[in-house]
Amino acid sequence: MTTDPAPLAGLRVADFTWVWAGPFCTLQLAHLGAEVIRVETATRICVTRLLPPYPRDVAPGPNRSGYFNQYNQGKQSITLDLKRPEAVAVARRLCAASDVVVENFAAGVMDRMGLGYDVLRALRSDIVMISLSGYGATGPDRDKVSYGPAQVPLSGLSSVTGYRGWPPMHVGISYGDPTGGLHGAVAVLAALLHRSRSGEGQYIDLSQWESSMTVLPDAIISWTMNGVAPPRDGNRDADMAPHGVFRAAGDDRWVAIAIEDDAAWARFARCLGQPELAADARFATLVARKRHEDELEDLVAAWTRARSPEETTALLQDAGIAAFTAATNRDVAEDPHLDARGFFVELPHPEVGVRRHIGVPWRMSASDCRVRRAAPCLGADTERVLAEVCRYTDAEIAELRARQILA
Amino acid sequence: MASALDGLRVLEVGELVSAPYATKLLADLGADVVKIEPPAGDRARRRGPFPGGMPHPEKSGLFLYLNTNKRGIVLDLTTPAGHAALERLAERADLLVHNVHPRDMAASGLDYERLSARNPRLVVTSIAPFGLSGPHAGWRGTDVVTWSAGGVAALNGVPGEPDLPPLKTFGDQSGFQAALTAAVGSLGALLARIKRGRGEHVEVSTQECVATILELTFEYWPYTQLVASRLGQKPIQPLCFMECRDGWIFLCAIEEHQWERFVEIMGNPEWAGLELFTNRLARGANFDALQAFLQEWCRDQSVQELYEAAQRRRIPFAPVSTMGDLVASPHLRARGFFVTVDHPVAGTVTMPGAPYKLAATPWLLRRPAPCLGQHTAEVLAEAGLP
Repeated sequence: MTTDPAPLAGLRVADFTWVWAGPFCTLQLAHLGAEVIRVETATRICVTRLLPPYPRDVAPGPNRSGYFNQYNQGKQSITLDLKRPEAVAVARRLCAASDVVVENFAAGVMDRMGLGYDVLRALRSDIVMISLSGYGATGPDRDKVSYGPAQVPLSGLSSVTGYRGWPPMHVGISYGDPTGGLHGAVAVLAALLHRSRSGEGQYIDLSQWESSMTVLPDAIISWTMNGVAPPRDGNRDADMAPHGVFRAAGDDRWVAIAIEDDAAWARFARCLGQPELAADARFATLVARKRHEDELEDLVAAWTRARSPEETTALLQDAGIAAFTAATNRDVAEDPHLDARGFFVELPHPEVGVRRHIGVPWRMSASDCRVRRAAPCLGADTERVLAEVCRYTDAEIAELRARQILA
Repeated sequence: MASALDGLRVLEVGELVSAPYATKLLADLGADVVKIEPPAGDRARRRGPFPGGMPHPEKSGLFLYLNTNKRGIVLDLTTPAGHAALERLAERADLLVHNVHPRDMAASGLDYERLSARNPRLVVTSIAPFGLSGPHAGWRGTDVVTWSAGGVAALNGVPGEPDLPPLKTFGDQSGFQAALTAAVGSLGALLARIKRGRGEHVEVSTQECVATILELTFEYWPYTQLVASRLGQKPIQPLCFMECRDGWIFLCAIEEHQWERFVEIMGNPEWAGLELFTNRLARGANFDALQAFLQEWCRDQSVQELYEAAQRRRIPFAPVSTMGDLVASPHLRARGFFVTVDHPVAGTVTMPGAPYKLAATPWLLRRPAPCLGQHTAEVLAEAGLP
């Protein structure tokens, strides 16, 4: 049924990003059909190409990391040694032929390379450029250095996440990266809509610190309103009980359950085989359940421990109760529902073969949104892009190659 | 100055975080967003924080944040009159975003074919915990459930503490991820409409949005058949929380040059020269010993001084910011990050502002969140409804 072109078909993105935040931003644009051209270098290989997982049956190598291959699907790759002025000239030609430029170097790096917004705008007046940096392009901390994992504590998320009475916790992933990357994609798309009506491009300054704080308003406003931050309270919720992740039968198996209101509690009590709990004074109302929450959780855990998380999930969902296994990476990869929805992508890759990857997290009824090709090998598209996009002759490309500009 | 989405007409039938944050992103960039609430109001109105902890439907900090720059109307979408009004409004709209559960969509008048027949240019974006198709489409999910179903909860825990359960992150993070993805999909469909002239139906599964952010862990299964565990130690260190005399800091010195400079900051202690700590992999393998030495030293430090000292040497440490630290940050103040909204009932509320700065079409605060039904008469009159 998806017969129409993709939303961004015909749109070109010059992608100077690396690690995760920037690549996650341009992944969305690739999903939407943009031609995304990664500018990389063999002299300083993207961090994610050098991180595991590598396939068990193949030797490690920069084209074989599952991390890189997940978040760079649908993109192309060229190599340019941007420390060389001749390479910067090539990059400028690429930008001049692009609608969007995305970068996530430390603040000011693009300017120093001669690829700042003012330079690019002079080459192409309606260009949309976004910088995703840790602290933003302005302000007294703009030159501070930031790694993805550090954004979680910096944003305040760690101070309110954790088990009761335990230290601050992380998220388990570098959460500021996808949050920043998605916000970046929203900003680029909005700027493109503006450009479609006005002809005007623009520069977008995204601070990962700031985009990470926009997703914890309840904690921040609790402070600005009342001068108190929410305490670290494990998996509990002020407005739902029981609410948590409970031990299930099996080796380190767990199931998440949320009882959204008193009616759900009554249904849950029937699932437990103890319908009388619905009217029990200790548990009948949310206020009562919150007051007796330790006791309540013991009761839930005694029941969940006796069955697999999948069995608990099926029983509770049949009763209209929110529940699901605390899925491992294996559970997600083998989730029959996700499979039935066509969520996974299995495209041939020249070095790792066909592997399961995560696909596009939305569906469109008319536009053709999908992963169009596996992640690129380092520099795989250099010749084609230089010839077809940047309009260099074969002789010029050979010359650039010989002088190691295309490294 | 113009806004990026000036003139874009958006309807929202949303509760709590996902649909409301998706349309807030658009409203803050200039879209005319009309929020449709049931007579009892968005459930976010009943979640805090509230001033003094006293619940009040017009004073929820979460609601006030998620609904700035929108107008608000009340329609009872369980009635034929409500459906008729929704259809009339949808005839004039560019985009409708909702997070009504799939089981309740038809009864709420949210049928894409029907709305599209009345307005072929309309884009409709549906957000559901498990999407609109597939064997689990009718299943229910709040944040702890979808965060677990997408696989992130299972990654968060304490090595050596198998009795601590997989830990959810603070707040409705699945809702925010679904909102961001819904905004991306919606804007994509609006861009596609420029050439095609027709809208379409965009569908977002919260579970999928969470599975999309598993970083390097998802591929461990297809690439190596290994199950990622919250109980595993990090392979490289230091990348850890430490308690200082006045708060917590996050140590991040995983490159060798960063570690060497951190050792200098610590005054080159003898233990740092032990073979146990000779490189980042060794420091990961011997983290128990490393942690004890680091904790002993950090206990006497000040968070801010250590953070600044590390940053001067290009080591990416970060404070474990408290809410108070954020609001007091000179950097965030210089950038104008926090904004103060003046609301007719709740008074002034300071909240997070722009997640990005668009130079030509700035993020702009134009109006506070609507009181329940504040714009019902105005919006219905614009649509020619009584």
